Amino acid sequence: MIEEHSSVLAGVARARSEQQFAEELAELRMADDRQRPPRWDLSPWAVRTYLLGGTLPSGFEVSPKYIGNARLMEIAISTLATDRALLLSGVPGTGKSWVSEHLAAAISGDSSLMVQGTAGTDETAVRYGWNYALLLQSGPSEQALVPSPVMRAMQTGRLARIEELTRMTGEVQDALITILSEKTLPVFELNTEVQAHKGFNVIATANSRDRAVNELSSALTRRFNTVVLPLPDTIEEEVEIVERRVAALGRALELPAEKPALEEIRRVVTIFRELREGVTQDGQTKVKSPTGTLATAEAISVINSGLAMAAYYGDGTVRAADLAAGLTGTVIRDPVQDRVVWLEYLQTVVKERDGWADFYRACNEML
Amino acid sequence: MTVTVFGIRHHGPGSARSLVAALTSLMPDIILIEGPPEGDALLRHAEGGGLQPPVALLVYRPDMPRRAAFFPFAVFSPEWQAIRFGLTHSVPVRFCDLPQAVQLAADPEAEDTAPVEETTGELGNLADRIRGDPIGALVEAAGYEDFELWWEEQVERRADPRGLFEAIMEAMRALRAEAGVGDEREERREAHMRRSIRKAEKEGFERIAVVCGAWHAPALDGPSSAKSDAAVLTGLKRVRVDATWIPWSNFRLAYRSGYGAGIVSPGWYAHLWGDPENATVGWIVRSAHLLRREGLDAPASSVIDAVRLGDTLAALRDRPNPGLSELSESIRTVLCAGHGAPMQLIRRQLEVGEVMGTVPETVSRVPLQLDLEREQRRLRLHAEESRRRLDLDLRRDLDRDRSVLLHRLRLLNIPWGALQEKEMLTARSIRRGTFHELWQLQWHVELVLLVIERTIWGNTLGDAAEAFVEHEAEAAELPGLTELLHGATVANLSGAIASLLQRVQAKAAVATDVRHLLAAFPPLAQVVRYGDVRGTEAQQVLPIVEALFERALIGLPGACTSLDDAAAAEIVTLMSGAGDALLLLDASELHGEWRVLLLRLGQLQSVHPLVRGWCCRRALEQRSIDTGELARLARIALSPAGSASDAAAWLQGLLRGSGLALLHQDGLWVALDSWLQRLDAETFTATLPLVRRAFSGFQAPERRAMGEKVARLRNSETGQSEREDGGTPIDRERARLVLPVLAHILGGDADANR
Repeated sequence: MIEEHSSVLAGVARARSEQQFAEELAELRMADDRQRPPRWDLSPWAVRTYLLGGTLPSGFEVSPKYIGNARLMEIAISTLATDRALLLSGVPGTGKSWVSEHLAAAISGDSSLMVQGTAGTDETAVRYGWNYALLLQSGPSEQALVPSPVMRAMQTGRLARIEELTRMTGEVQDALITILSEKTLPVFELNTEVQAHKGFNVIATANSRDRAVNELSSALTRRFNTVVLPLPDTIEEEVEIVERRVAALGRALELPAEKPALEEIRRVVTIFRELREGVTQDGQTKVKSPTGTLATAEAISVINSGLAMAAYYGDGTVRAADLAAGLTGTVIRDPVQDRVVWLEYLQTVVKERDGWADFYRACNEML
Repeated sequence: MTVTVFGIRHHGPGSARSLVAALTSLMPDIILIEGPPEGDALLRHAEGGGLQPPVALLVYRPDMPRRAAFFPFAVFSPEWQAIRFGLTHSVPVRFCDLPQAVQLAADPEAEDTAPVEETTGELGNLADRIRGDPIGALVEAAGYEDFELWWEEQVERRADPRGLFEAIMEAMRALRAEAGVGDEREERREAHMRRSIRKAEKEGFERIAVVCGAWHAPALDGPSSAKSDAAVLTGLKRVRVDATWIPWSNFRLAYRSGYGAGIVSPGWYAHLWGDPENATVGWIVRSAHLLRREGLDAPASSVIDAVRLGDTLAALRDRPNPGLSELSESIRTVLCAGHGAPMQLIRRQLEVGEVMGTVPETVSRVPLQLDLEREQRRLRLHAEESRRRLDLDLRRDLDRDRSVLLHRLRLLNIPWGALQEKEMLTARSIRRGTFHELWQLQWHVELVLLVIERTIWGNTLGDAAEAFVEHEAEAAELPGLTELLHGATVANLSGAIASLLQRVQAKAAVATDVRHLLAAFPPLAQVVRYGDVRGTEAQQVLPIVEALFERALIGLPGACTSLDDAAAAEIVTLMSGAGDALLLLDASELHGEWRVLLLRLGQLQSVHPLVRGWCCRRALEQRSIDTGELARLARIALSPAGSASDAAAWLQGLLRGSGLALLHQDGLWVALDSWLQRLDAETFTATLPLVRRAFSGFQAPERRAMGEKVARLRNSETGQSEREDGGTPIDRERARLVLPVLAHILGGDADANR
């Protein structure tokens, strides 16, 4: 089965979690002897091991998927185990979608039942649509019904994922209320309903920076357990996250560059954290914060683009000059304000720092 | 004959429960508890319902009440439960620790003079007392990161207490073997405890139960040598100490109030003690009630979900029951939509709990304490640890009495209430008038010590405050004296007022320092102005105030010459304070003299320029000089003959306060403009910071208006005010139409004003 996946994966731009980590999931399933909630692929304990990493009795190493507060993952898993819907909230780049996908992969073995919330998402994405040719030909019928990912999840007893819940309009959000509280989806046209099988649940993500996009109604909020994912606590945690993700992405993109030195990653993460927190790591100097979030995900993309630069236009080793372009573009979101912030930071912090001269030169050249 | 030692944790519901179970099965004929023997006589108060924990045993030196020790008890403290067990089963209970008479005799200089909260045998405090952290090693060996968590799981929440005390003993014995000998004080304490046990044996008790901190348990268990203990205990100095019960609070039991000993969540422990069977459900329901009371959504369905999540989390973490962390996480996730702010509320009100114990009246205490409690009851002002605002309306008898009480305490330096003077000023200017007093009340349990200490001054608050004020007055300078006088007036200390007035008069007569006179003036003016509100005799103060002010007036011109910049700034501050205070007085003569003096100082060239500038400003506001005169003075002050720094100082004095009043003084601006233009580059650079500082106090719109003003003035060639030549002529007929309405509003007669 793993080989089969590998062959499927060969040409795929980005494999789904359950494909990418098929081996880990299979090992976990084998080792898992604890009680599973109905239709769960793994027991909650095994899901926790999958997310947080660990060593199985057989000696098999499970890689950590989430680095940070383990208690938050335990709350998320317990929420799903108690049959409550889970809302992951937080600023961009804190790994909400990442966690949601891995949870679905571990629990249902399928992370594909996903609805992307946008302003244009309509009810059919949450309920069902129609095959209009069939509908016109023979009227409403089971055959003419096009189920949404949520409906399919209900029918199969799996996890449905809803990304960016707050971007969907209020009406579409409210369509979820019946589904979550009654666990049923009425089809008025056919005078029937789809009843959710055991195991069905919803994981939604919401960006807490998107203020007042479409605030969740209190009725809907009440139906979710909310877990707020924070930005990484310590620089070590953040460096580890970036390093792991860069390594994984580098493999996927098949870049001919060497893995960047830990030192370079540490420098980028340091810059991100200092700008984000408004103070240098030693706590001595205050710096201004730019308008962007400067999330961990952005640090990852800065390193990645640096990797690509080094591979195609450099000597294959990531140097300050390769990172400078991506860094400057990420920090300067507002061409006026952020430019000032960045310049001040370069002059007052980077310039003075021992061993950072190459960074300072490279970034200055970009401006 | 048997001796059974129970090693406990000082505040732990599980320890308490296990202890009660063990005592019930042992049925001892005497219980010895680690604690000060001075408290033995007070134990009887624990019988009945009068003494409600949290309470603390306070042992203090009557000659030095600050040298004191507290022994707090919560309802879930094993010691408290042991005391209750003894009282209900008629088993004698004794404290067996080294007497505080010895412990408090130690040289106060050697230790921190702040009262020590007794931390004997507290496991959480081990790290401080022995090298390294052996218990930490134990916890680490068990694979836990958190000491509290480990203890809670292993000891506090254990369902079956059998073998618990043996296990604790064994663990502690191993730890003590590793840690080596403790310090001298520890050894003495343990020796005394052993001696107490032997004494009980000699008296013929058969089943002796000893309740002590887990750390001491191994030292008390097993045979001991009376001789070696006696060697440690001989030749100890003793002092006289008194002991009493005082109310304690959950807040003070909690860690974060700054003591090493204590527990993170006393409210949670009390909850566990009260209803261990339904701890989870009860806790979440109480949290939901609290959230609802604060206007947050907490529907019943969510409560159910929170309980389920808590149970599931505990299962996922392989714990038998949800602990506080699981419950908090589930409440936050389900009931608070992931937000942290409501959790603060739960932390404060439930986890810690705003609970304060009570002490029955039969417990002996010092007279001043009794008087304070009587007053608190009479005025319905309860001592609470949470901060509370109090708005007193001085026209009401009750509130006036409350104010008197708080002011008396303030005079005695017992800071229960803090007067919110700033807020009162704003409130006064908005709507309330002068009949209100705003206080912020917050009781601290240590304040009891201060009350005991002040007992030497008198047996009632009034007497003590009077005596204390008179004592303070002996050494006070004039401004301090008038402060005290003001304090005595608002605290209604009629006995002290007369003697204070005499002192003020005597001091003022010989006072040579005008600054003292000026500083003494505002509190006195307050006494005169507001004394009547409180029913104090204020009339006798007025002549003194007037005499004092006269003296200040005479001295001022001399005091304002040959000053350096700092002294000038001080004088200006004092003068402006005195000027404001003068407004409180209904004395037209003084007002007139003050005006004349300001005018004179404004014109006197020998006066420091800062003072001069400020006087000009005040004179202008009081209309004792006109714009022409101001412009003339400005030209003189800013003339090139004087130094640039003098000019800048003058400007600074002039511009103190709001800039709006100056905006329309065209002559001033012209003078200022030409002065600035005349400065050469070097002087300009030197003066710029001073000028900048003078203007920095203004609001941005004011500064802009000033700049525009100067620009406009320079554009108009004549330099005359634009109002004079640019104004529209007044249409008198149309203006007359408004008069009846105005007259109606102002209550005058329209025709008479025509």
